[in-house]
Amino acid sequence: MNRSLFTVLTFVRINTKRFFRDRLALFFSVVFPLIFLFVFGSLNGGGGDISFKVAVINQSSSEFSKTFSTQLKDSKVLKVNSEVTTLDVAKDKMVKSEIDAAIVLPAGFGDIASGKDYPSGQVQVIYTQNNQQSASALTSILGDQFKSVNSKFVNTDMPFTVKGEQLNEKSLSSFDYTFAGLLGFSIIGMGIFGPINVFPELKKMGILRRLSTTPLKVWQYFLSTMIGQAFIGLISMAIMFIVAITVFHLNMVGNWFELAVLLILGITTILGIGLALGGWAKNERQVAPLANIITFPMMFLSGTFFPRFLMPEWLQTVSSFLPLTPIIDAIRLIVTEGKHLIDILPQLGLIGIWMVIIYVIAFRVFRWE
Amino acid sequence: MNMIEVKNLKKKYGDMQAVDGVSFHVKKGEIFGILGPNGAGKTTTLEMMETLRPIDSGTVIIDGIDVAKDPQAIKYKIGVQPQSPAFQDKTKLKEVIEMFAAAYGEKVDAMKFLRDVELEDKANSYYESLSGGQKQRLSITTALVHGPKVFFLDEPTTGLDPQARRHLWDLIRGVRDRGISVIMTTHYMDEAEVLCDRIAVMDNGKIVATDTPENLIKQLLGRGFKKPQEVHQANLEDVFIDLTGKDLKGDN
Repeated sequence: MNRSLFTVLTFVRINTKRFFRDRLALFFSVVFPLIFLFVFGSLNGGGGDISFKVAVINQSSSEFSKTFSTQLKDSKVLKVNSEVTTLDVAKDKMVKSEIDAAIVLPAGFGDIASGKDYPSGQVQVIYTQNNQQSASALTSILGDQFKSVNSKFVNTDMPFTVKGEQLNEKSLSSFDYTFAGLLGFSIIGMGIFGPINVFPELKKMGILRRLSTTPLKVWQYFLSTMIGQAFIGLISMAIMFIVAITVFHLNMVGNWFELAVLLILGITTILGIGLALGGWAKNERQVAPLANIITFPMMFLSGTFFPRFLMPEWLQTVSSFLPLTPIIDAIRLIVTEGKHLIDILPQLGLIGIWMVIIYVIAFRVFRWE
Repeated sequence: MNMIEVKNLKKKYGDMQAVDGVSFHVKKGEIFGILGPNGAGKTTTLEMMETLRPIDSGTVIIDGIDVAKDPQAIKYKIGVQPQSPAFQDKTKLKEVIEMFAAAYGEKVDAMKFLRDVELEDKANSYYESLSGGQKQRLSITTALVHGPKVFFLDEPTTGLDPQARRHLWDLIRGVRDRGISVIMTTHYMDEAEVLCDRIAVMDNGKIVATDTPENLIKQLLGRGFKKPQEVHQANLEDVFIDLTGKDLKGDN
């Protein structure tokens, strides 16, 4: 075997073993991103369907209103807060935005009026100023329900009707969207926060200095770190995918192999930033402010925690050139849209350009002590 | 034949001339000690020879190779034991050996090198579980994985107890007897006296004397020097060793 390669692979083998012995490192690269995954996954309500938080206040004693309020509770679209039973409590919760609206079934709702043989009544949807959109959506949902109820009691002829038809099962749920960002966050965590903590420590102990008395070259050291980190990163992300698919019903439509290739590229590119920072810094104090300046804009502008399309146009343009942006975009395109590597060449090109820039800098600023 | 040839070596830090025209040579298979107070320039001299610091002027030739011209080739010729040796934690001793051998592109039998320094039963222990003396021994054997011709040690016995020091001396003599040239610095004069074949005394960046320990002592006596007090045939360290034995203690 080629001697240089033997050197690199021996370092990969021993340092990877060492990683799995280090509980703290394991926590930060495997458990920590999972915690974020659970937090954001739960925030997005699991499947990511739109739902309204409502209170149902039944002031009527009729049989129909009892059945109707039970049906509301079983509805997928409504999340009924069963603790709220009076309008005053509901108002208080609306002010605090804990519920979107209150559905009031007034006294006499569902009673059979004299001279008729079917029940009738009017439901009130009560909402605050900030919730007009939810309320109008809610009103039309209830309207639809009544329409089908009405048709059972009174035979009406409806010349014009509307019917929604689901076309594309693969459209983005909000969790699908968030998940790519979470992977981006995990890549930053491993690629930047790992090396900037490890390298200054190795320098302080004189461990890198000792290595520098051997013929070991910087590129061998970098390459061994890249291979090791890519390996560990893939394992960590595989676990994230397993959780996302089983718990949060992530809909992965792309090709796993192409995704792995992209993730390796992404991990090694971002790792270069960590290698540059950690390799340059003489101690922890020197590296922390610079790392924050570089990391935080990427964390917030590259679409990690919230989608970039929410930003003003100019900021979208600027942030599209950050190194993490094409990585997250490309992950999203593969995972949620089933795109192939050939389709995401613009993103791959941008990642490639950043990789060259980052590693040229990393090699130039690296210091063994 | 001289293994090392140092001529008029100089190094300046800012306004301070840390090393000011140092010249000496080291033969094959001898222990050469560099003595001197802190700040005399010992470590800087060593670091220039070890390729760790750029040389301002002068030359260092090791085994016929100029350090300044071909540092990469020098790295295969030398083994370096830094002042406070450290390796990364959570690494087994045999892995430390394998890693350093790999840095030279070599695959070695790690157990053989651990046996050389009586650490074979610690092969699967992590580095951080070793005692100070054990760390020094591991560091020595690690510096020799690639079969260097020159071995540098910077204050190897600082902080060790007398038993561990004596054990380390035996190891260093063993290295010399394999034909390796050893260059070491120390602050302990007794150590230099029993261990070094020749010594150089440095002060203010210059070498003020080079000779065997005996000759240097003879020269001083020849100038009419007398110790102000009666010389005992034994000192406190002899008492200590007599009372506690020569064997390594505990986990040293």
